[in-house]
Amino acid sequence: MTRNGPVALIFHALVVIFMLAPLVIVCLVAFTPENTLSLPTRGLSLRWFEAVFHHPDFVQSFWNSLWLAFLAATLAVALAVPASLAITRWEFPGRGFLNALFLSPLIIPHLVLGVAMLRLFAVIGATGSFGWLVAAHIVIVTPYVMRLLIAAISGFDRSVEQAAFSLGASEATVFRRVTLPMILPGVTGGWLIAFINSFDELTMSIFITSPSTVTLPVRMYMYATESIDPMMAAVSALIIGITAVAVLLLDRVYGLDRILVGQH
Amino acid sequence: MSFLELKNITKRYGPLTAVGDVSLSVEKGEFVSLLGPSGCGKTTTLQMIAGFVEPSAGTIRLDGRDITRAKANSRGLGIVFQSYALFPHMTVFDNVSFGLEMQRVPKGERKPRVEEALSLVHLSPYAKRYPRELSGGQRQRVALARALVIRPPVLLLDEPLSNLDAKLREAMQFELREIQRKVGTTTVMVTHDQAEAFSISDRVVVMEAGRITQIDQPYRIYEHPETEFISRFVGKTNLLPGKVATATGAGATVSLAGIAVPVEMPGLSVGETVTLCIRPEKLRLTQPSNGLLTGRVADRFFLGSQWLYHIDGPLGTVMVVTPNDGSAPADQGAPVGLEWTPSVVRVHRGAMAEAPDVALEVT
Repeated sequence: MTRNGPVALIFHALVVIFMLAPLVIVCLVAFTPENTLSLPTRGLSLRWFEAVFHHPDFVQSFWNSLWLAFLAATLAVALAVPASLAITRWEFPGRGFLNALFLSPLIIPHLVLGVAMLRLFAVIGATGSFGWLVAAHIVIVTPYVMRLLIAAISGFDRSVEQAAFSLGASEATVFRRVTLPMILPGVTGGWLIAFINSFDELTMSIFITSPSTVTLPVRMYMYATESIDPMMAAVSALIIGITAVAVLLLDRVYGLDRILVGQH
Repeated sequence: MSFLELKNITKRYGPLTAVGDVSLSVEKGEFVSLLGPSGCGKTTTLQMIAGFVEPSAGTIRLDGRDITRAKANSRGLGIVFQSYALFPHMTVFDNVSFGLEMQRVPKGERKPRVEEALSLVHLSPYAKRYPRELSGGQRQRVALARALVIRPPVLLLDEPLSNLDAKLREAMQFELREIQRKVGTTTVMVTHDQAEAFSISDRVVVMEAGRITQIDQPYRIYEHPETEFISRFVGKTNLLPGKVATATGAGATVSLAGIAVPVEMPGLSVGETVTLCIRPEKLRLTQPSNGLLTGRVADRFFLGSQWLYHIDGPLGTVMVVTPNDGSAPADQGAPVGLEWTPSVVRVHRGAMAEAPDVALEVT
């Protein structure tokens, strides 16, 4: 391994600082006792955290987002596993089209998707439905899952499945006992990225959420357009905290490298 | 009736015939190797026996039962793959146990059988390890144990040793044969390595361009190759083009660049174009005046137990292999004579397929 020179080290340090500084600052601001977004200078206070928990809309939106992201990620994985297997392994007419179709939400601006979904929901009378919100999120997170799964399946040694098959396993057993466990890092990584993307999605959700289904990012956006106070920082700090705990747990249980980079 | 019988097996992919009209009978307990260069159809043949590829025509019978269209998971064959194909997320024990589980062997019976299979391949201490924690040779043994634990009627080996380094490969060859003898499982192995095929097989099937060209015991294939392709593919050989000068009832003399060489082959006619095939180890170096031919040492290579010489002479460059008996080798550039007994010369009718210098090619 080659060592980094001083220039490279400084560069890397700057990149890390650039990425982390806003997060650190927003967390610090969350503890301010003042009424404005400012760094705490006269001691620390938890008053803005308290404000969040006493704000029923925020609590409701948090649960909305959590549910939404969980359902969208899980259903997207359930959809993407068979789709990726079919696209990677079989030659059939329309294969290229299907692949492009599944990945197309990646290149369509969420703004456009949001307007389109709004119209669609109005036409089919689904405006404000949580189920259709989940469906819309599945559309936008599926490509991420597919990318990871296709990569995992492409590097798969088919003779392992043949070996299981020759030992007397049925097709279903081969899938359950061999294929699925072997692509599990791709499945978990895909789920995680889908969850984060769905939880974080603002642009499209603005158009298609109703008062009862407002997600956390939409709630924050609406709140921030009206007033700017340190409660926003407190919400952000909470999200950062929850994410950090989740990532640490995942790394402990699975190893993040394994999930996001590949096997072993 | 043979134990495993392939009858006129053919596999076509569109206009391409990967395997054409292959017929082969394997006796119970026999070790048969399919030998050939890559693309000769040997692996496709094995996959048809395994049930991964469906034949376009022909039948496969196992112990009298027609299994041509049977699904791979109903054939009960043991297969060792080139990549070993171990289940990476299972321990060695679970890998070996998988087949028993699929066969619904009761749990209490599985454990002793897995342990027996692991001890057969000397891996008992590694039962709790994962495949990634094992060396290539150890993975190979796990694959073998996993295939044998289900007590398959036939064991199929697809290039089982090609991923191992040379020294380990040789050791595993003998061990493989020893295990196969002990268990007595009928075995079909695919390989492109003739040393591997020869050292452990009862019979070798040479394949070329999707067809079988010779089925015989290893030493018979080496000594009596039926085609020029086989003599070239199997071991090193000197191929010398010539014309029949005289022919008597049992033998003939062949003129090679003006030198008359006696051969033992009946039925040749005067003037016929033939190719003589002489293995390098059948040639002996002598004093220049005593040999059938004279030449000069162009190059010499020390192979440890043997010396390989390239001798330049009237026939072009000829390879000679002599055992290293401890004495000093012939010097580079030294004049030498070559002699041999007529019985070691094989005659193939017709001209050589390619230019004479391929005689120097090593498999």
